[in-house]
Amino acid sequence: MKISGAEILMRSLLKEGVEVIFGYPGGANMPIYDALYFYEKKLRHILVRHEQGAAHAAEGYARVTGKPGVCLVTSGPGATNLVTGIADAMMDSVPMVCITGQVAAEFLGSDAFQEADVVGITTPITKWNCQLTHAEEIPEAIAKAFYIASHGRPGPVVIDITKNAQFEKVEFKYPKNFYVNKLKTVNKYNSGDMKKAAEIINNAKKPLMLVGHGVLISKAEKEVLRVIEKTGMAVASTLHGLSSIPFDHPLYVGMLGMHGNYSPNKLTNSADVIFAVGMRFDDRVTGKLSKYVPTARVIHIDVDESEHHKNVRAHFPLLGNVKDVLISLLPHLKKNNHDDWLGEFKKLDKKELIWGKKRQEKNKNKITMDVVLSLLSKKTKNEAVIVTDVGQNQMFSARYYKYKNPDSYITSGGLGTMGFAVPAAIGAKIGAPKRLVFAVVGDGGIQMTIQELGTIMQEKLPIKILLLNNECLGMVRQWQQLFFEKRYSFTHMESPDFINLAKSYRIKGQKVTERKNLDQALNKFINFRGPYLLEVKVEKEDNIFPMVATGTSVDEVRLE
Amino acid sequence: MKYTVDIVTENKPGVLYRITGLLTKRKINIERINAFAVKGNGISNIYFTADIEERIVDTVVKQINKIIEVIEIKYHKVSH
Repeated sequence: MKISGAEILMRSLLKEGVEVIFGYPGGANMPIYDALYFYEKKLRHILVRHEQGAAHAAEGYARVTGKPGVCLVTSGPGATNLVTGIADAMMDSVPMVCITGQVAAEFLGSDAFQEADVVGITTPITKWNCQLTHAEEIPEAIAKAFYIASHGRPGPVVIDITKNAQFEKVEFKYPKNFYVNKLKTVNKYNSGDMKKAAEIINNAKKPLMLVGHGVLISKAEKEVLRVIEKTGMAVASTLHGLSSIPFDHPLYVGMLGMHGNYSPNKLTNSADVIFAVGMRFDDRVTGKLSKYVPTARVIHIDVDESEHHKNVRAHFPLLGNVKDVLISLLPHLKKNNHDDWLGEFKKLDKKELIWGKKRQEKNKNKITMDVVLSLLSKKTKNEAVIVTDVGQNQMFSARYYKYKNPDSYITSGGLGTMGFAVPAAIGAKIGAPKRLVFAVVGDGGIQMTIQELGTIMQEKLPIKILLLNNECLGMVRQWQQLFFEKRYSFTHMESPDFINLAKSYRIKGQKVTERKNLDQALNKFINFRGPYLLEVKVEKEDNIFPMVATGTSVDEVRLE
Repeated sequence: MKYTVDIVTENKPGVLYRITGLLTKRKINIERINAFAVKGNGISNIYFTADIEERIVDTVVKQINKIIEVIEIKYHKVSH
């Protein structure tokens, strides 16, 4: 029986196991929405308020489920509104399949109403994209899109479907056991490589493992623990590696990078072996590159060959899926311990601890972001999913919430997209309905995608929004203070009454301005059944430290 | 340093755009380019010559090799 391209799309999505679509209808995807009308029981559709919200929600969904997030939008502005989210997914290796409507094939290139060159616009920010002008092309393109999005290093793909292809009727035939040759074999190492890599690790005196997003993506958390526990090596995490190792593991020395912990930054350059596992030596991690790990032997596991030697030359690159590589490596590793080396971290940790106590003393009756996040961590037994925005809220969430379970810290790391948190939390909550999901935002970021409160309202999603309001763009303000002689150029921001705004979306809320009310407000916030906005007025002139200033080496990390 | 990059790729629309995009990203200017479909087998050959910094050429070539349609890639220094 012949069915429309739009219905073929529905059936193809079901073949790929899709359960949720984040989207927004418009002229050029109306036939698809018409088909969805008959499939809404099988395919849950979340109507966002802006297409950027669909993209970030799809990212949030993908980050907690490991499955590609799906977006469905119309042509022209619908598609261009997705762009920030697609770029975000590309930078952070998030699997995502975006379906964009397009004007009918006969109008392509004629500047038709709501026409934009979506394939052209999204090429640099997708792993793969294509335009379909015939219904018969849809099944294979969808199979290919899902395969590409989720195999090798995950990423976003875009399928642009012209309106005539959505209407056109053909037989439905879905490809079986489809694969893309290029991504079929990602592991390119042999047992000889494993022996050599193990020898380097076994002979190390001061080995340091750096874990990144790749550990979470390949679900290699257990393997990482087995490797560190066997070899006794210290382990530090990148921003995206957070929550891959429980915060209280004795070998875990903290977060790396610009606003990471003191000891791992200070001691990275003292390590004799750097074992980089599923991380890409981002500039926020390495600080000044020419002064980064000048003497250590670097072993680098990555599934993406172009990441080897891109920023840091690896003496021993290993190409493959993190989990598979670690499983192959384990039998070659010798039992060892490095207590002296770990002692060096402990010594510096004390320094950070003393600094932290002084900071607490100084801010005793004030509310600062660290206080809020520490309390939230304690009150949620360190088990919540924290979806952050970008800026100080993101860094304080990274440092002061104590992550116990994997996939608990979700953030826009590579692109650094303000406005990420609220829509991404929507996707995360839908992907992990049993987990407690918090969006941690600032007064700047929340206003970039605040319309998604409407989506939360309509879907009745019990998402907790923690708004840390410092009445300014905190991170930029911090830099202005530190590096631009306190010229606070346009970082002061006046905001609406957020509680009333939430109320207009039928979302309950409370504002806290005094330290003595914080405890109780947090209790209510956490235990409330349903969505809730807690606005906490925090200190304006507060900074996130430690800090590795731009252009300095990681061992020049400063505490104030 | 001047390099010639030889690419064998599936003959699909947009591949050349992906390749040149990766060069544009790093402000690499193409000096010469030649692309032609191999008759009948859906394969295309693309050759280009460009001035590329020695320290990044390997990464750029590997990034081009990530393009799904690219089948094979080689590069060599152009002697003056």
